[in-house]
Amino acid sequence: MKENRHIGVTDALLLILSLGLAIGVATVFQPCVHEDGSFGACHWAGRAVLGVGIALSALAVLRLFMGSQARRGTDAAFIAFGALAAALPGGLIGLCGMATMRCRTLTQPASLVLGVLIAVTAAVDLLLRGRRG
Amino acid sequence: MIGKLSLKNLAGKPGRTAAMVLLAMFLSFSIFAGSLTVLSLQQGLNGLEARLGADIIVVPYEATTKFDVKSMLLQGNPGYFYLNRSFADKVATRPGVEATSCQLYLASVSAGCCSVAVQLIGFDPESDFTILPWAQETYHGEIGFGDVLVGSDISVPTDGVLRFFDVDCRVVAQLAKTGSALDTAVYANMETIQALIEASQAKGLNQYNDISADEVVSSVLVRVAEGYDVESVKNDINLHVRKVVAVRASNMISTIADNLTGVSRLIGAFIAAIWVLSLVIMMIALTMLMNERRREFAILRVMGASRRKLAGLVMAESALTNLLGGAAGVALAALVVFPFSGVIEARLGLPFVLPGGGRVLALALGSLAACLAAGAAISAVCAARISRIDTSLILREGN
Repeated sequence: MKENRHIGVTDALLLILSLGLAIGVATVFQPCVHEDGSFGACHWAGRAVLGVGIALSALAVLRLFMGSQARRGTDAAFIAFGALAAALPGGLIGLCGMATMRCRTLTQPASLVLGVLIAVTAAVDLLLRGRRG
Repeated sequence: MIGKLSLKNLAGKPGRTAAMVLLAMFLSFSIFAGSLTVLSLQQGLNGLEARLGADIIVVPYEATTKFDVKSMLLQGNPGYFYLNRSFADKVATRPGVEATSCQLYLASVSAGCCSVAVQLIGFDPESDFTILPWAQETYHGEIGFGDVLVGSDISVPTDGVLRFFDVDCRVVAQLAKTGSALDTAVYANMETIQALIEASQAKGLNQYNDISADEVVSSVLVRVAEGYDVESVKNDINLHVRKVVAVRASNMISTIADNLTGVSRLIGAFIAAIWVLSLVIMMIALTMLMNERRREFAILRVMGASRRKLAGLVMAESALTNLLGGAAGVALAALVVFPFSGVIEARLGLPFVLPGGGRVLALALGSLAACLAAGAAISAVCAARISRIDTSLILREGN
């Protein structure tokens, strides 16, 4: 039987959010750039989020060519990696000490919000696919 | 029965349901995010007002050429300027001056905790009437040599030691948030500041090579005696004490308050515009939907559903979509305002302190209730129209 490979709203959302995470952490909400060219802990937190973002984007593209059952499998990965992206800056890898610095005001909240949205979207997708059977 | 049928109706038309949920989401998002922002700004202003403590702030004339004294509280001034202590004594002897307290500023080049300069502020615990009342919200002990109080925006290392100019300072307390530059400052007694000044001079990082904390001050905080007019005392100091500028502390706040009023009005207008737009769209969409479903309602009437039940069905569907959309809007607003409060504060340039959990919960429930009430009012109008439909006429249409 031919599998249904229709691209749904959640598939598109996961791709947009994953790309947003990868591109955003390298541009719009990249961590602090020190004047002397040195790297702080926040730089490496940003790199880790970038890695997770790229992996999620690749997975989001790949899932467009997968059947429904395989997409359910990737949902679990999106939930885990979304949570990881949210927890990396400030949680698993430290950031600058001052709460007013760019990494604390932009990189951390943006990663948190996008990570949570990715995990929630994947959870909703998993739930909907579970109901459809 | 109505509940089950409503759920089936909503699930049967996912596109239509999603559109109605989205509209409700806009409503609750705008009211919750907007009100939370205004409330946080108000809380920031109140906190700053409570923290000010002094009626007049006297700084050397030289300081006014470096920055705007009125915006000192919000922008901070990681720099230093000094005035001979004799000027502080002159200020203290002016009529109407009840108490004075001196502060000494020093900017660190970089603290061990972060990579930007922080403002180090030395104060005299004996005469102070601004820092200690603030510190006593979190700390009741003595502030000895080498002890520092830090603003809420400075992260304290696990060992509780911050290093400035290679001098270790023990953090004894973190101060409550004000949403201003005061949150990024470090406070110490005069002996500690003197040690830090000497350390900065030894490292060649202080442009003033020959100053001593015993001889100079950076600012003099003045409390005006009861019965005296603050403006008159300020003018008297400006007139009779040379090389200094006296500024009313309330003037600093009034500038912030004026800006806050402007921002609050703008946010209010924005919320109103979104509400008007969303309500009009919701009204049009519901009216069109009801027209589209006239035959469905007529069949339900023929099958024995009363007019009251039909109205109940419309109301239940509206309540469900508004509840779902309202909750999603509140959650989305929380996901934007809470994590990005630092950016909002920096962009608005105003003190921003998020309210406590109880007030946030009340605001969230209020926003949800407002969204539900608006949806209920619109669907009540539609339900009234539905209850007046002529079943036979509708069923004969198209035959």
